[in-house]
Amino acid sequence: MAVDIAFWILAAIAVVSAVAVVTLRDVFRAAIFLILCFFTTAGIFVTLNADFLAAMQVLVYIGAVAILLIFAILFTRDVQQGNPSNKLKVPAAIVGVVLLGVMVSSAVTFGWPESVYLPELADTADIGQRLFSENGYVVPVQIAGLMLLAAAIGAIVLMREK
Amino acid sequence: MSYYLIAPQITVAGFAVAVIMLDLFVKQKRLLPIVSVVGLLGGLGASIALWGQTETGFTNVLSVDRLAIFFSVIFCGAAALVVLASRDYVRNNFSRFEGEYYALIMLSVVGMMFLAAARDLIAIYVSLELVGISLYILAAFGRDGKSSEAGLKYLLLGGVASAVLIYGMAVVFGITGQTSLAGIYQAVAAAGLGLDNGMLLLGVVFIIAGFGFKIASIPFQMWVPDVYEGAPTTVTAFLSVASKAAGFVVLIRIFLEAFGQDLAIVSGWAMIFAVLAVLSMTIGNVAAIVQTNIKRMLGYSSIAQAGYLMVGLAAVSKTIGAGVTDPEVLFGPTGLLFYIGCYGFANLGVFIAVIAISNKIKSDSIADYAGIGHRAPVIALAMSICLVSLIGLPPAAGFLAKFYLFNTAVHHGLTWLVVIAVLNTAISAYYYFRVVKVAWFGTSTSQEAVPSGWGLRFALGISVAGVLVLFFYPSGVLDIARSAAEAVSGIALSAP
Amino acid sequence: MLNSFGLLGMFLIIAILVTAAFVLIPIALRLVGLGARRNPNTDKYTIYECGMVSVGKTHIQFNFRYYFFAVLFVAFDVLAIFLFPWALWMGNAGVFELGAAVLLVVIVLIGYLYAWKKGVMQWK
Repeated sequence: MAVDIAFWILAAIAVVSAVAVVTLRDVFRAAIFLILCFFTTAGIFVTLNADFLAAMQVLVYIGAVAILLIFAILFTRDVQQGNPSNKLKVPAAIVGVVLLGVMVSSAVTFGWPESVYLPELADTADIGQRLFSENGYVVPVQIAGLMLLAAAIGAIVLMREK
Repeated sequence: MSYYLIAPQITVAGFAVAVIMLDLFVKQKRLLPIVSVVGLLGGLGASIALWGQTETGFTNVLSVDRLAIFFSVIFCGAAALVVLASRDYVRNNFSRFEGEYYALIMLSVVGMMFLAAARDLIAIYVSLELVGISLYILAAFGRDGKSSEAGLKYLLLGGVASAVLIYGMAVVFGITGQTSLAGIYQAVAAAGLGLDNGMLLLGVVFIIAGFGFKIASIPFQMWVPDVYEGAPTTVTAFLSVASKAAGFVVLIRIFLEAFGQDLAIVSGWAMIFAVLAVLSMTIGNVAAIVQTNIKRMLGYSSIAQAGYLMVGLAAVSKTIGAGVTDPEVLFGPTGLLFYIGCYGFANLGVFIAVIAISNKIKSDSIADYAGIGHRAPVIALAMSICLVSLIGLPPAAGFLAKFYLFNTAVHHGLTWLVVIAVLNTAISAYYYFRVVKVAWFGTSTSQEAVPSGWGLRFALGISVAGVLVLFFYPSGVLDIARSAAEAVSGIALSAP
Repeated sequence: MLNSFGLLGMFLIIAILVTAAFVLIPIALRLVGLGARRNPNTDKYTIYECGMVSVGKTHIQFNFRYYFFAVLFVAFDVLAIFLFPWALWMGNAGVFELGAAVLLVVIVLIGYLYAWKKGVMQWK
């Protein structure tokens, strides 16, 4: 019960702040609302017992992505002018609403199968086992490492004076 | 665990790191392309050496079967040809970042090879991102604003496509509770789901949309013209062949391994591919006619080629699930694989010729190609042969590729699709021949010869040889393609 | 349910409180300001405590070199995510798992070495 109330509070704030991100004209305030949105999402993960995901949300999205975003705003000139106006607002809104309608209606009407497994207790160590053990995802983890390498090299190449 | 199975990936990744280290610690930059080519050929050799092995290994995450090996060879070969052809281009355009350029090409090849072998949604997604990030950066390598715009556009639209794809994967995971393709197959079969189920359809459509971006199918093609034009020509060449092939191998694997339960579900998604094929062929070819920039034209041409390739994905309905084992009925993906091989050689040939010509004339406008036939007869002849192959006329491999693919489609009852494809082939002849005509019969303002390095000439020679050899001796490669395509369909047939 | 997840519950409470603070503090400040008397003068608008009156626009473009540090930070942040569950499980892990984690760190460190050698860390 308490968890349900917490979920609805967090969900409402998450939606409101997400709307604020796309509607506010001041880019910096939009970034701050994005952080709020990330934080409430982390809270929602907690209500679902997904402690690892919640920690990731805080570490990566708030700790890194939001910081990078604010850095990017600081590097630009004339941020006070805010978001440039968008001529395609109306068609984009229509497409967005239709897509949302399709997704929500099919998700609601679909009879989701009950998992045959008991809900596992949130255990980050199990995730570690899945990621690094021989029968798990050890190869994809190394691919992710290569991806970080490519991204680091690329970021430096793109930013150095050409 | 049998780690020798990923020896090709490890080889190429190791050489990519070696290239970075050489770039950092050795002054002699001449070594870099040589080391890269050696690494890519090492990966190619290791892949071929794995062809006969029976073990496919790695539980449900990776499966190094013949399909994966076939595509690994294509990726390594295409990258090696591009690296051979790009030395002068790199020197002229971004000499400061030579090492990074070669390293990123090799890292994206590693990602593609993992993508070809991945049998788990997580592995597929991570590999796809490795490919994507490397290519976004490569597209922005040029010094001009157009290249930066190409990189940014590719990154933003690629990010959207990734988001759509992962949403589709999440939906499929939500329905089945499985991330491995074999697990999804069984869960969907056990629940008796079909594409008339809205949620599964949503997941499938989102997955097709995510990979439609990679293969440049219409309605997900909007990045193609600008990125093809703005990116460095060598990168465009690599994108147009390797990245497209990577998208197709995943589509083949996901749809045959995870959604091949019965005839109803197979003909459902086959029809989606048939419709996308019609759209891509028609819009791509018509838009290509009006282009004046050769890279943009080849961009639209590659959209149309993606349309022909999707005919192979549409022509699967009689082979899976229904239990038809009639050897006379060809399997659509076999034709697709053969087509990708022919398309790869021909498109790389055209692009390598474009690289050589643009090194000299510094322009990509088709009008500036006037008289190239007299200034550089060998390069122009090679380009003409490759263009003829892209049309699908003899004596070039493209003719046989189209013949096999369309023949298969007719056997699968897709005559209407083949009629549209043949009409499109006729349309495409117009713009491909226009380049040939301008090159040989146009009058040039300059008579200077077009110089080319030995690496570029060698790569061009290999491409043309490939186009001709596949026309005169197709049976060997066709057998290999059949064996590769059946490696994956066999899994779908034998699963309970 | 939260009883069995003491620490998680704490985090949840913090999450709710922080989000509530985000929303409530501006409202509270506005409410406080409602009843206050206002007679502003220039001294009241000068910078409080210390510092100088700013000259020109305060919203300036920052040096883009900070970007390199931000990028490297993100790369290592993501690496930390992989190492976090691994570290919790390390007690049961064998040589293979240790090797896998070391390989991952080495791969990412190559990018760090690259950045170092290219002089990204220097403030020229």
